[in-house]
This record gives sequence, C-alpha cells and structure tokens, in this order.
Amino acid sequence: MKKLCRRSCLGLWVLALGLAFGLAVHAQAPAPAAPAPAAAAAPAPATPVDAELKDAAGKAPSQADLQKGDPSGAITGTISDVPAADSKAGVTLPDVANQVGQNKIAVNFVWTLVCGFLVMFMQAGFAMVESGLTRVKNANHTYMMNFFVYTCGLFAYWIIGFAIQMGGAAGNSNLGGLQPLASEHAISIFGKMWGLWGQSGMFLVGHTYDVGVMVIFLFEMVFMDTALTIVTGACAERWKFLAFTVSSIIMGALTYPLYGNWAWGGGWLSQLGTNVGLGKGYCDFAGSGVVHAVGGITALAVCMLIGPRIGKYNRDGSANAILGHDVSACLIGCFILAFGWFGFNPGSTLGASANGNLRIGTIAVDTMLAGCTGTIGAILYMWALKGKPDYSMSGNGLLAGLVAITAPSGFVSPVSSCIIGLVAGVLVCLSCSFFENVLKVDDPVGAISVHGANGLWGVLSVGLFADGTSNYGGSWNGVTGSVTGLFYGDASQLVAQLVGISTLIGVVFTISMVINLALEFFIGHR
Amino acid sequence: MAASKAQGSYLAVFWTAITVLCAGIAYFAEGFGKLVLVFGLAGVIISLVGFLKIKPLEGKTAGVTGIAAMKILGIAVALGGWFVTIAGLHLTTSTGGRLIFALVGIAVSLVGVLGVLPVAFGKSVAGKAQSSSFMAAKTTMEHSR
Repeated sequence: MKKLCRRSCLGLWVLALGLAFGLAVHAQAPAPAAPAPAAAAAPAPATPVDAELKDAAGKAPSQADLQKGDPSGAITGTISDVPAADSKAGVTLPDVANQVGQNKIAVNFVWTLVCGFLVMFMQAGFAMVESGLTRVKNANHTYMMNFFVYTCGLFAYWIIGFAIQMGGAAGNSNLGGLQPLASEHAISIFGKMWGLWGQSGMFLVGHTYDVGVMVIFLFEMVFMDTALTIVTGACAERWKFLAFTVSSIIMGALTYPLYGNWAWGGGWLSQLGTNVGLGKGYCDFAGSGVVHAVGGITALAVCMLIGPRIGKYNRDGSANAILGHDVSACLIGCFILAFGWFGFNPGSTLGASANGNLRIGTIAVDTMLAGCTGTIGAILYMWALKGKPDYSMSGNGLLAGLVAITAPSGFVSPVSSCIIGLVAGVLVCLSCSFFENVLKVDDPVGAISVHGANGLWGVLSVGLFADGTSNYGGSWNGVTGSVTGLFYGDASQLVAQLVGISTLIGVVFTISMVINLALEFFIGHR
Repeated sequence: MAASKAQGSYLAVFWTAITVLCAGIAYFAEGFGKLVLVFGLAGVIISLVGFLKIKPLEGKTAGVTGIAAMKILGIAVALGGWFVTIAGLHLTTSTGGRLIFALVGIAVSLVGVLGVLPVAFGKSVAGKAQSSSFMAAKTTMEHSR
C-alpha cells in the first residue's frame, strides 16, 4: 500500500513538473500576432509591379509541365519557387525582396563554408610536407602532432579563442551582420578607444548560437589551426608530445586569437586608420600576418627554447644537412596546400555575392601566380647558386609565394602578385640559410622562413603594392576608399603595415616566448 | 622519456580544468560563474604541479638552458622596440616621422630577437655533435644508446 502511495506521489510529481515545464514553454512562446486593424486589412491598390508579378506567376510552369522533366533547365527555378507570405495574395514585391536577401546570404554562407572545408584539408598537406622532410624514425611522431594539433586547437578555440578573436567583430553584412558578436573590450588612450579583445562567443552558447556566427566560427577556426601546425613543423623530431599539446592549446586559446582580434576582430591595429589616420588601418586580407607570421614567429620562439636536433651542428658550428625521408610526401603535400590556398585567399572575402566580392577571381589568380613565381624564384636561386634545383626548397618556394600573397591578394594586380611571389621565392632560400648557419636555429622543414619571414614580407607588400582598385563595399576597416600602397600614392598605409610587423616581432614573439618559457619550467620541451 | 600514464592523467586534469576555467569566465557575471572559475584555476594549478612532479623522470635531456638574464634582456628589447613604434604614432603626426619611428622600433625588436636571444640560448650548444662530421656524429649517437 505504502509502495503504491509512493508511486502515485512520484507520478503526480512528474505530472506537475511536466505541466509546469509546459506552462513555462508556453509563456516563452511568442504571443500570436494581434489581428490587424480593419484599415490595414483592406487590400492595397495593385501596383504595376504586383500586376507584373501576378502575370509572371500565371506564366509559371504548371505541375504537369514539371512532371514531364526539364532536361534543358529552362523551367526549373521560377517565381513558383519564391515562397509567398500570404498564399491568397500570391507573391508580392516584399516576398521577392526577402528572397533576394536570403539568396545573397545563402550564397555567401555556402562560399565561406566550402572555402573553410578547403582550408581544413590543408592540415593533410601540412602533415605530408612536415613528415616528408623529417627522418623516417620520426615520421610517426610528426604525423601524430599534425593530427592532434587539429583537435587541440579546435577545442581551445571553441572554449575561448573564438570569443577573444571575433567576440567584437559584428557588422559583416556578407554573413547577415553577425550582430551577436558585438562585445569588444576597449581602453581609452589619448582620447581614442582601442579594441583589445572580444568578449562574446565562448562555447558558442546564448546569443552566439546563431547561423552566421557558426559560419564565421568554422572559417576562422581552420585558419587558426593552420597557424598552430606551422610550429609542429619547425619543432619536428625533438618536441615532447605533452609539451606540444599544452603549448598548442594555449596558442589556440590565447596567442593567435589576440593578434587575430587586433587585425580582424575590430581591435586596435584595424583602428589605425580611423584613430590616427594611417591609411585604411592595418590590412591583412587573408592572414600573411595573422596566420603565417604568428605561426612562424611562435615557431622561432619555441625553436630557440628547444634547441637543435642532436647531430645537426658540429663542434665548429657548421651545420649538417639532415635529409627528409620522403620526397613524394613532401611535394604532394605542397600541392594539397596550394589547392587549399584557393579556400584560404578567395574565401577571405567571406562572400561571393555583395559589393566588391566578385573580385574572388582576381584573388584566385593572384594566389596562383604568386605560388608559381615563388617556385621559379626558389628553383632558379638554388640552381644558379648550388648547381641543382633542390626539392625541399622548390616546395618551400611554392609555399613562400603563397604565404606572401595571402595578405595582399585582395588588393593587388596580377603583375604585382608575380613580383611578390618571386621575391618570396628568393627570400625563403636566403632566410633558411640565415637561420641555419648564422643564428644556428634548427628548423627541419623551413617553417620559420616560409611562414615567418614571408608572412612579414606579405604584410609589408600590402603597404607597397596595393593598387587602390579593390572596393569591398566602398571602405575597409571603417575608412572610406580602397586600400592603396606606397607605389600607388599612399605612404601612410605602409606605416600601418609596419606597425603590424612591429607588433608581430615585439609583442607576439614576446607572448610566445614567455608562455613557452613557463612550459619549459613546468613540463620541459624535449 | 616516452609518453606515460602520469602524463596522460595530468593532461586530462589540465584539459578539464581549462574548460571549467573558461566556463567560469563565460558566466563570470553570474554568482556560480565565480565559483566555477575558482575550481578551474585550482585544477590548472594542480595539473601544473603534477607536470612539475613528473618532470624529473625525464632524466637529462638535450634541451638548452641558456643564460636567464640574457633571456630577460632579449625579451625586454624585443618588446621595447614595439613601444618605440607605438610612441612614434603619438609623438608625431607626419607620415615620414611615423615611418622612421616604426622602422627604428622594428630594428630594436630584431636586435632583441635575432641578436640577444640566440646568444642567451647558447646558439645550439646542445645540438653539437661529438665529432666533426655528421656521419661520425650519427655513429656516436648510436653508440650512446
């Protein structure tokens, strides 16, 4: 009897809870729309546009026509596919306008997501390049670092990194405005407000559980992971897996997002134009600085800490060449990266349908050409100076050209992109030699030179070669007009780029060094 | 030292702790957010102490020790260069003046990064092989195993 009573009570309690929950949900549900006043309900006089829409609806193919099939595609996608708010009234002008707006955002979502998927695939390219350039005994370790860095970075970026970087990046009309990301922490210096870090978007909950935010999260996340995987290459063959894991988590959570915010998230570098009149502010179209230089400079800091591989240097200081074990993995990896770069650069418009976004073709061609001339530069340099084209430097030349064009790709002409790529191809050879023979920094894959040195060159080249023809909605970083470099008449843009470079070398390097010195104390990098 | 169970355990603590820590930051405005933040911080400290505890198990590694004072100097010079660049933005309004300040700032930072720090880290001392040629060095390494 007691048991029965207890069960009945439990049943009642569950029922009451369910009722209360139902009431709460009902209370939160939007109230039904109030009946429109009689005057508003009266049919508006038909305009010529309404008449044309009705005419078009009348001429639309019938169900019977569509059932016959449409091999030419002439009758698929007509006014019948535009949803009408009021089925009795038929399709109206506001219905058409709403559909046009949604189509624009849909095109931009698809474009940005597909480009993000391409960039994600670059992880495979990095894994192959880095493992191919290391010894066979360490190939598994290098592959495993490249595999796990994706997870470490993604998780760290989801819990906090994205919020720091993009938490204050609202206002992108390509992706529907991104209004939930409207909280930037800023400080006032000399009467101007300077953004330091974003504050909304942690764990993608609350208001940031939003379709547009999800798209930008995915796209920015794969960029961040690219930066992280640069460090694994430079520190290959000697980095303790535990130290690598913790270092990567912290880089994905803090170092990368901070600079990302300053450049792309509405932070102080992007405000150099509006606050102190330096061109259009710091401009880094797809991330020569934000992604590659941050990765390369962090790699330099960790490489200094970790020291060279055993056997790399002789007692007299001369370096030994430690050859990679797999040419095919290295060069196929380079091709995968070059393919992924078509997501990296053209995707950075964050849309294919809006004012100025049709420049995606130019950006893709610029990307191609810079990679091409980068390869030419590196091969000819090695051939002329060392007597034969070197496979690792050929691959690095291609990547150097691509890295260098990443920042200026949205602002320069094809001829400029060729020059930028060619310089990058030679620079990567000189830089590799400098780090190996002068600084005695052991970088098995040349990541510091490819991404660090050429990332900085890419940032600088915006300030030199931007030709003022790009027009992404008529302004950049809140400053009206197109980005224009020194060679086209705006020296102040060059200064903005130099401030960005100074921040990369002075601040990003320092943050990376301090974090990794702490990890050296607690964990030990080797 | 190869990967061990202790490393995995303390990494799991670290991973959980930073997740809790970030949840605390995310909900800091609410009462329980502060409590969660404290729990997260405690977890991070526990994991770091754990890492430190198992570090001696590594034995002697090939890492570079370097000179602490030089490291601090190198970092300070690198950061100082950035301050020069930023100061230039406020000291002058002319583009030419700012350009000069920016270039000087970059040069100072480069002195810190490429001049002082490599000296502080002893320029590859740990990586030097026992003999003058790589093949001999390789043989030495194999013998030492």
